[in-house]
Amino acid sequence: MNIQPTFKLTTTINSIPVDAEIETRTLLIDFLREHLGLTGTKRSCDMQICGSCTVLVDGKPVSSCTTLAYEVNDREVLTIEGMAQNGELHPIQQAFLDEYGLQCGYCTPGMVLATAALLNENPRPDDTEIKSFLSGNLCRCTGYFPILNAVRRASERISKEEG
Amino acid sequence: MLNQKYGVGEKAPRVDGPSKVTGEAKFTADIRLANMLEARVLRSPFPHARIRSIDTSQAEALDGVVAILTGTDLGDIDPYYGHAVRDRPIVAIDAARFAGDPVAVVAAENAYIAAEALELIRIDYEELPAVTTLEEALAEGALRVHDADLLRLGLFHGLGDFRPHDNICYEHHMTKGQAEQIFAEADVVVEGEFRFPAVYQYALETHAATAVWHSSDQLELWANCQHPYLVRAELADMFDLPKANVRIHVPFIGGGFGSKSYTRMEPIAVAMARKAKRPVRVVNSVTESMWTSRRHNMICRMRTAARADGTLLARTAEMWLDTGAYADNGPRVVATAADAAPGPYRWTAYQIDAYGVYTHRSPSGSYRAFGATHLEWIGESQVDQVARKLGMDPLEIRVKNLLKPGEPVRTPGKPMDADLIGDIRKIAEGLEWDKPRPPKVGRGLGIGLLAAGSRPVSTAFARLESEGTVTVMVSTSELGQGARTAMSQIVSQELSIPLSQIRVPDGDTMVTPYDRSTGASRSTTLAGGAVHLAALDLKDQLITIATSKWQVARSDIILRDGRAWVGDQSATLSELLFYHFGFSGGELFGRGIIRPEQGQGTYAAGPVFWEVCVGGVELEVDEETGRIHLRKIVSVADVGTAVNPAMIKGQEMGGAAQGLGNAIFEEMVFSDGQLLNGTLADYRVPRMDDIADEFVSYIVQNEDGPGPYGLKGVGEGILAAMPAAIVNALADIGIHIDELPATPERVWRAIQQSKSV
Amino acid sequence: MLKPFVIHEPQTPHQASELLNEYGWDATVYAGGTELLLVMKEGLASYSHLINIKTINEIHTIQLVEDDPTLRIGAGVTHRTIETSPVIAAHAPLLAEMERSLANVRVRTMGTLAGNLCFAEPHSDPATVCMAWPGASFELTSTDGIRQVLPDEFFIDLFMTARQENEIMTAINFPLLPSGTGSAYRKFVLLERPSASVAAFVSVTSDMITSARLAVGSVGPVPYRATTAENLLVGEKPGEDLYRAAAEAAASAADPVNDLYGSVEYKRQLIRVLTRQALQQAFERAMGVERL
Repeated sequence: MNIQPTFKLTTTINSIPVDAEIETRTLLIDFLREHLGLTGTKRSCDMQICGSCTVLVDGKPVSSCTTLAYEVNDREVLTIEGMAQNGELHPIQQAFLDEYGLQCGYCTPGMVLATAALLNENPRPDDTEIKSFLSGNLCRCTGYFPILNAVRRASERISKEEG
Repeated sequence: MLNQKYGVGEKAPRVDGPSKVTGEAKFTADIRLANMLEARVLRSPFPHARIRSIDTSQAEALDGVVAILTGTDLGDIDPYYGHAVRDRPIVAIDAARFAGDPVAVVAAENAYIAAEALELIRIDYEELPAVTTLEEALAEGALRVHDADLLRLGLFHGLGDFRPHDNICYEHHMTKGQAEQIFAEADVVVEGEFRFPAVYQYALETHAATAVWHSSDQLELWANCQHPYLVRAELADMFDLPKANVRIHVPFIGGGFGSKSYTRMEPIAVAMARKAKRPVRVVNSVTESMWTSRRHNMICRMRTAARADGTLLARTAEMWLDTGAYADNGPRVVATAADAAPGPYRWTAYQIDAYGVYTHRSPSGSYRAFGATHLEWIGESQVDQVARKLGMDPLEIRVKNLLKPGEPVRTPGKPMDADLIGDIRKIAEGLEWDKPRPPKVGRGLGIGLLAAGSRPVSTAFARLESEGTVTVMVSTSELGQGARTAMSQIVSQELSIPLSQIRVPDGDTMVTPYDRSTGASRSTTLAGGAVHLAALDLKDQLITIATSKWQVARSDIILRDGRAWVGDQSATLSELLFYHFGFSGGELFGRGIIRPEQGQGTYAAGPVFWEVCVGGVELEVDEETGRIHLRKIVSVADVGTAVNPAMIKGQEMGGAAQGLGNAIFEEMVFSDGQLLNGTLADYRVPRMDDIADEFVSYIVQNEDGPGPYGLKGVGEGILAAMPAAIVNALADIGIHIDELPATPERVWRAIQQSKSV
Repeated sequence: MLKPFVIHEPQTPHQASELLNEYGWDATVYAGGTELLLVMKEGLASYSHLINIKTINEIHTIQLVEDDPTLRIGAGVTHRTIETSPVIAAHAPLLAEMERSLANVRVRTMGTLAGNLCFAEPHSDPATVCMAWPGASFELTSTDGIRQVLPDEFFIDLFMTARQENEIMTAINFPLLPSGTGSAYRKFVLLERPSASVAAFVSVTSDMITSARLAVGSVGPVPYRATTAENLLVGEKPGEDLYRAAAEAAASAADPVNDLYGSVEYKRQLIRVLTRQALQQAFERAMGVERL
C-alpha cells in the first residue's frame, strides 16, 4: 500500500481526535502550527538540536521539525497546549514558574515537554541524569541553573503526589 | 498567589510566566493574518558580485507565486537603510556585498512554493574580487567595500564626526596625557596582540516580520524588534510616510541579546507586501539570522605600563573591528570598545584608537555587552600580567588602581558612579580568594565598565480603569529580561495594588508611547523611570480625589493595600473613581516622561550610568585534551536597588552562560567570506551539561543609580566579565591565551607551548 | 523545504526491495528519518518515493540467537530501544552505553541503528563500535537474496556504503563477547557530533592479551581499524606503557584533515588519549575490575 502526495491523517492531539487531509510531506511542526494553530510548538535550529519543537508522541519526545505528520497517524501527540488540565497548570509548569526556569519563553514549551518525558520514565533523576537528558534542549537566556532547579522541584512534587 | 502584592525588592513571579509555560504567549511568527503570503529570500552565494541581470520569469510562472521583489522594484522609494550609516539596500541593487546578502524575495501562497520559486530565479552574477578579512580590507590599496564619498549618515547615527575613508567606516580616538613618554620610562611594560572571534547571538527565535499595507499610506507590522520606534522612523523615511502611519506591534520576543536591535527583516517584509499587495510574513532560518546580525570579530594591540609598586600608569590600544559589508551598529560598537579599553582604572595617560572596518562578510551589529566583551579580557589579562611580573596579588593590584566613586572615567562623561572596590572584593569573597588553590585549579578575576543606557528618552502612560485595574503603556520590548514584571512591580509599589490588577500589553507604536530602545541595560532605569513617574502621577490624582471626598489635607492620605486611607476610613481605588466620575466608568491617566537631565543626552556626555562588568571563576583543565571544566562562577550585580532579586540572578546566570560561550566555544568560522558553520550542528552554544558546578551570585544595592529608587540596569556586565575571568584563571595555571574562543584545541596548544618554553 | 513524495508501506523486505527496483534513484529507504529528512529539507537530496520499512513487522525485534550466541538487532529498532533494552543490558552493555551518548534523546527516539549505519555519516558512533566489534555483520536483503557484509567491507566512503540500490539492511548481528573480553567506547565531543572516537575490544587470558580490536572513528571518511596497534597488544601483558605505545600507533595510522573539529595534530592527540583510555577501560572490564 502507498500513501499518495496527500493523504488523510487520523491522529489524537492533546486527547482530541483530529482528522485532516494533508500533504504527505507535511512536517509535524507545520501541521501543529499552521493547520491546527497550536503555535506553542516553536521552530528554531530546524535540525533536532535545540529542542524548541519538542512534542511527545505516545509519551516519547521527538523533534517535530524533522518528523513527518504521517508518523503520528493513529498515535497520540502531546503539545504544550495539552499540559495544563482543566485550567490547572501541570506540576512541571508550576515548577518552571516557581524557579524562574524561563525568560524569553521560546525554549520553554520544549523544555517542559522534555522534562515530562524524563520524569515519565525516571521520576527521581539525579542531576547528572537531568543534565544528560536535557542537554538536548538549548536555552540561551537562563544559563540553565534555574531550569535544573525547576526539574528538581517538579520531580519532588510529582513523587510526593504519587508517593 | 498572584493576588499578593509584589512591590519593588520582592521576588515577584514573572507576570508573563503563565502564558509562556502554557504555550499561549504569542511571538511574531505565531501571528497569521488573513490572506497572508509567505516570503523567502534568495541570497548571494558570493561574497562580492555584480548583478548583471535577474530573470524571474520561470519563478513567476510557478502556480502560487504572487510577486517577486528585486532591486529594480525600489526605484520609487529611498531603498537604503542603516540607522548609523545608510549603506544598505533592502535587496541588492547593483552588487551583493557578502555571501548571504539578500538579492531577491519571493512571496507565495505557502512556504513550499516560495522555496521552490527561489530555485527558479536565474541570476547572472559577475563574481568580483573581495576583501573578506580585516587584514585584506586594511591592506594598502585594498579594494573598497563602499565608496566612502557616497556614504550617507543614518537617522540615528549619533556619531559626531563622520569621516569614512578607505574601508574605515568609523573611527574613535581617546587621548589622555602623553602615553609614549610614560612607556619609555615605566618600570614594567606588557604588550600583546589579541583576537576576538565573530560570534552569533543565537536568540532561539529567529528574525521575523509580518507586514500589511492597508492603503498606499497606511502600514502595519508585527516584528520582533527591540527598538520599534527607531524601526518605525526608518521605514517611514524609506517609504515616505508620516511616522504615525507606520504601526508596529511587538509581540513577545524569543531572546534579543542585541540581535534584534535596529532594523532587520522589516524592510524586506514591507517592500514585499507593497509589491504583492497582500500581507507578507518573512521568517529567517538560523543560518539567515547568522547572516543578519553577529558580533564583530576584532584584532587588538594593547600595551600597559606600570610602576614597580603596582600603580598603573599608561595604556595604549589599537583595535580594528570587522563590521562586515554594512555598518549596522558598528560605529557605536567601535566607540564602546574604545570606552572599555582603558578599563576601570586611574591612568596618567592613555591613547586609544579604534576602527570599524568594512569587509565582504556578513554585517556585525549589537550583541549584549558589545565593546566591553571585546576589550575587558584583554585589558584584564594585562593587569594580571603586570601583577605577575611584580609578584603582586591580582586582587591587590586592582584594589590599588580601581576608580573610586566620583573620580572621572573619561572626559567628557559621567564620573565613576559605582563602588568598584566593594564589587571586586565581593567576587574575591565568593571565590574564597584567600584560601589556597587546589593543585591545577586556576582562579581569575575580571572587572570592567560598559557605557550603558543609550539616549535617555522614554515615556509611559498608566491607565487606571474604573474597577481599579492599571494598564501600563510602555514600549519596552519583552525579550525575556522581565521588563513587564519589573514595570508591574514599580506600579504595585507606588499604587499599592497587587500584580493581578496590573497589566503590561505588547508594544504597539500606535498605542504605547515613545521609547528610544530596548537595549544597553536601559529599560528598568529609563522606561521604568517613566513608568514610575506615570504611577506617581496617578497616585497624585487619586490623592486629589480623596482630599475632595474627605475634605482633608493631602498629607493625611496614604495608599495601602489597594485602598486610600484617612485614619481608619478607607476607599478602594474603584470607589474613588466612582466618586470622581459619579458612576462606574471613566478612568485616570498617569504620564511619565524621561528626558536628558542636562544637555542633549549624547553618547559623549553620557553614559546614563556605568554598568559594572565584574566576575570571577575557578576552573580546571584536562591537560591532555585542553577541555575546561568550570568549578565555580561568581557574579556581582551592582544594581543600585533590586526591583526583583530573582530575575536579577536569572540575568546573571544567563549572561554568564553567554560569556562562557563567547569565551570557550563560539566562533563563526569564515573562509573566503563563506560562513562554514552556519548551523547549530557546527556552531556550538553552551548546553545544560556545560554549566559550572556552582554559581555564586551577589546583589549589591548602594542606591547609586540614576533610575527610580536609585536603581540602575543589569544583565550585560557578567557577559563581558566571563572571558576576562576565564582567561585570567587559565593564566593562573600557566596557560596563556591571546585568541578567543579558548577552545580545547587552543588551550591544548597553549599547554604544549608552555611546556616547550 | 521538502518536495512532494509518496510513501510506500511494504510488508516484507522482499516487497521493499521490489519497490527500490521499481523506482531506482527516485526512491530511498525511510526509517527514523532523522538523517534523511534533514538532508531532504536542506535540498541536498530529493526523492519522490520513500520506502517506509517500519511497516515491515519482522525487523522490529532484538533477538538473542542462542546456538551461536549472537544478538540480532532488527533494522527497525531505534537507538532508544537499544539503550533501554534489558536484553542488550544483559548481553551487550557496550551497545547501550554507546547509544546513551548518541546525539540527544529525541534523535534516539526516532532514529534507528540501521539507519545510522546506512547513512554512513563520518562521525557516526555506531559505525566505530561496529567496526571493532568481533564478528559483527550487517544483513542486507534484496530480491536477489540475503547477504551478510562485514563492517570494513560495508563502509566505503563518507555517505557511501556497500549496500546496493535495491537492498535494505534488515538486521545487525553482534556475536556475544566471549568471557575474558572487555570492551570500551570513548569519544571526544565538542560540536554536535564527535571529534574523534575509539572502540576497543580486548581479550585476556591469564594476564596476557590474546586478541585486540581497535577502531578509530570520526577523523576520516570512514572508521579505520588500528591494526598496527592491535598487533602491538597481542601477546603482551596489559599495562600503561603498552597502552601508550598502542595509542601512539593508532594515532600514527590516522589520516585526518584540518576542519571545524580540529587540526590534524590535535586530532592525533585526541586519538592518542582516547585509545589509551579505551584500552585501559576495556582491560579493566576484561579482568572484571570494572563490571560492564
